Amino acid sequence: MSDRVAEEGPEGAEAGGAEANPLLRSLKERFGERILAIEAFRGDATAVLAPAALLEVATFLRDEARPAFDMLLDVTAVDFLGRRPRFEIVYHLVSTGDASRVRLKLPVEEETPSVPSLVPVWPGANWLERETFDMYGIRFDGHPDLRRIYLYDEFIGHPLRKDYPKQKRQPLIGPGSQGEAGGQGGGR
Amino acid sequence: MNRQVIEPGRDVLNLPVESLELKLGPSHPATHGTVRILLSLDGERIRRAEVEVGFLHRGFEKECESGLYYQAFPYTDRLNYVSPMINNVGYALACEKLFAVEVPDRCKYLRVIASEASRIADHLTCLGACALELGAFTAFLYAVEARESAWDILDEMCGARVTTNYVRIGGLAQDAGPEFPQLVRAKLADVARLLKDFDDLLLGNPIFRERMEGTGALPAAELIGLGVTGPLLRAAGVPYDIRRVQPYLVYDRLDFDVPVGTVGDNMDRFLVREEEMRQSARMIGQCLEQMSVGPVDIDDPRIRLPGKGKVFQRMEELIAQFKVVTEGPRAPVGEVYQAVEGGNGEVGFYLVSDGTGKPWKCRARSPSFSNTQAMSRMVEGALLADVIPTFDMVNMIGGECDR
Amino acid sequence: MAARVVTVDRKAVEQLTGVLGIPATLRGLRVTSTHFFRNLWGWIVGRPQVRTVMVPEEHDPKPAAFRGMPVLVAMDNGKERCVACGLCEWACPVDCIHIVPAETDDEVERYPLVFDIDMGRCMYCGLCEEACPEEAIVMSAKVEISAFSRAGLLWHKDQLLTPVKTLERRLEHIRNDYGRR
Ligand code: SF4
Ligand code: SF4
Repeated sequence: MSDRVAEEGPEGAEAGGAEANPLLRSLKERFGERILAIEAFRGDATAVLAPAALLEVATFLRDEARPAFDMLLDVTAVDFLGRRPRFEIVYHLVSTGDASRVRLKLPVEEETPSVPSLVPVWPGANWLERETFDMYGIRFDGHPDLRRIYLYDEFIGHPLRKDYPKQKRQPLIGPGSQGEAGGQGGGR
Repeated sequence: MNRQVIEPGRDVLNLPVESLELKLGPSHPATHGTVRILLSLDGERIRRAEVEVGFLHRGFEKECESGLYYQAFPYTDRLNYVSPMINNVGYALACEKLFAVEVPDRCKYLRVIASEASRIADHLTCLGACALELGAFTAFLYAVEARESAWDILDEMCGARVTTNYVRIGGLAQDAGPEFPQLVRAKLADVARLLKDFDDLLLGNPIFRERMEGTGALPAAELIGLGVTGPLLRAAGVPYDIRRVQPYLVYDRLDFDVPVGTVGDNMDRFLVREEEMRQSARMIGQCLEQMSVGPVDIDDPRIRLPGKGKVFQRMEELIAQFKVVTEGPRAPVGEVYQAVEGGNGEVGFYLVSDGTGKPWKCRARSPSFSNTQAMSRMVEGALLADVIPTFDMVNMIGGECDR
Repeated sequence: MAARVVTVDRKAVEQLTGVLGIPATLRGLRVTSTHFFRNLWGWIVGRPQVRTVMVPEEHDPKPAAFRGMPVLVAMDNGKERCVACGLCEWACPVDCIHIVPAETDDEVERYPLVFDIDMGRCMYCGLCEEACPEEAIVMSAKVEISAFSRAGLLWHKDQLLTPVKTLERRLEHIRNDYGRR
């Protein structure tokens, strides 16, 4: 992701902010090479991790970091179609004490879209990871119940991937359907 | 004849025991929201509860990605459709963080007024529906009548009660007129009067209290682990309110209380929401006093439309109008997350920009989603009847949960 | 100026219930009967105290900001003000506007040969009005649209054209905002 900072031009100056952030600095010191990059665009502290380091970093942030990042707010993914690695899994953590925030990002390749599950660290990751699986097809190793959450099991594809056309129709399922693309009017 | 006495609790006949599977929803009269709760019952006791969501999934993120930044505002209304203004404000703040612009003071005050009026409407809906589903129909009518007054405030600001589409990147769709403060005060007085009646009718009621007290509680640590925010978390004693811990807009200039509970049961959640409404009304009053006349939009024709007065007369502004409408303001490359305190907890927007006029990704972190997830833990081991008040206090809003 | 953390008062609720819930019951009866008699009196003297509105026989007064369905402004000569620039079509998030421009010998040079709005998709968001550089499409106070088919919800130019006189209130409202930047 450092290429992104370089592209930014005027905002690039803010990249220096990442070094000034004590949390990001301590992460970098502690985990060394496994923190691939640190950023602080618009003051949002961000650490890019190697997927293998996720559980360790998450546990550290929850238990040892001061302030403790005790809540996992959000899990999602971003699809950079055409770039390698294609996906980025994004976690947002917050400390309920003083609302300091940190964002973790994991680059993931298209061929092996899988990362460790955070359910052992935060039970709340359960649904969030199911959603990310549903929408992007990212697999979470160690997730207790990785099923689709919004869409039905017969749905083909993962709709938030950039190569999924917005107007694509899916076969209707269930009683009364002819098993082919249906629905009237509406979508264009 | 040897008669067998069947004692309760002793299974003399060795009958096979299997739990009853009950599907509550997706359109159950006592759940305000399209959700299905699969219950495994042992008599009246809930052994296991599994919540299924997704009935209202409309592809919010996909829609936002395919439009310009400003075209997502109407969609944000439809996340939490009971307090649409808060979503508007949250999305606008996220965009403004990305574009690195700051709106004028009057705009900030109006946004706070809009957010707090929405919060009142949100809580009134939640509490009123709770009363309704526990059998107190009259109390529900008072709450809904009060909500009408809260919505009148929004109506006056933006011309719609639910589909507000009021906030813009770098400003507001329109300014409030000179009679606005007077109207707001009158409407808030209506709300306060009806809220008093609502309290008198409901709060002391022994049946209501029995169903609310001691039900649905979870320890604060578990709620945090599950990612629960908002009144649910505050009722368990954690004062995590973004307006307090990370003030945005003008919340740092206002004087208000953040109510917290002690036990974290449904009663505490109810009382926390009630108090929050009073505090919201207090905040609106302070905003009206502190607010001064001035511009509501930033003066930057690359981001905010230049205003029709100029567009009609000057070529330059006409071109700016064309550019902003057709290409949208171009965002710098980067990503931001901005959270605001919604009716049910932290509403966050995560935007990833690739430098064009369209968001590469627009993610809404919705409190209802995480809160609903915690629902099954809250009712496991409880009685079947406890599902209803607990679900009411979780206040799952389908649009926000399913996006 | 700061936010204080306060604890909600559960004891107060206990006191509201009172002995055997009798005070609570009496209080409840007082509330409901007050509402009943106030509403009854309002009905007798013809000044209703309830918010119920008997739609469609009567309607709530609408604020000046009210956004109903988008319509085209017809000038006094019956022609549209629209110059078919297409900005509203661009701005509409749900793509429900369809315009076919054509040339004319009038001073505006261009006009919409076809101007359709699919009311079945329109969500009354008002972005088209905001985008229009000619004050040609505005949000009216009309909300009642119904048709027996989806095709009936596709409104054409002749249906959308609304005399400028009936849109005066809205035009005045949006003009109030013109000079503020
Ligand atoms: S009001 Fe909104 S949805 Fe309707 S035509 Fe205008 S821009 Fe489109
Ligand atoms: S923006 Fe106005 S002038 Fe342009 S096509 Fe639409 S209605 Fe006509």
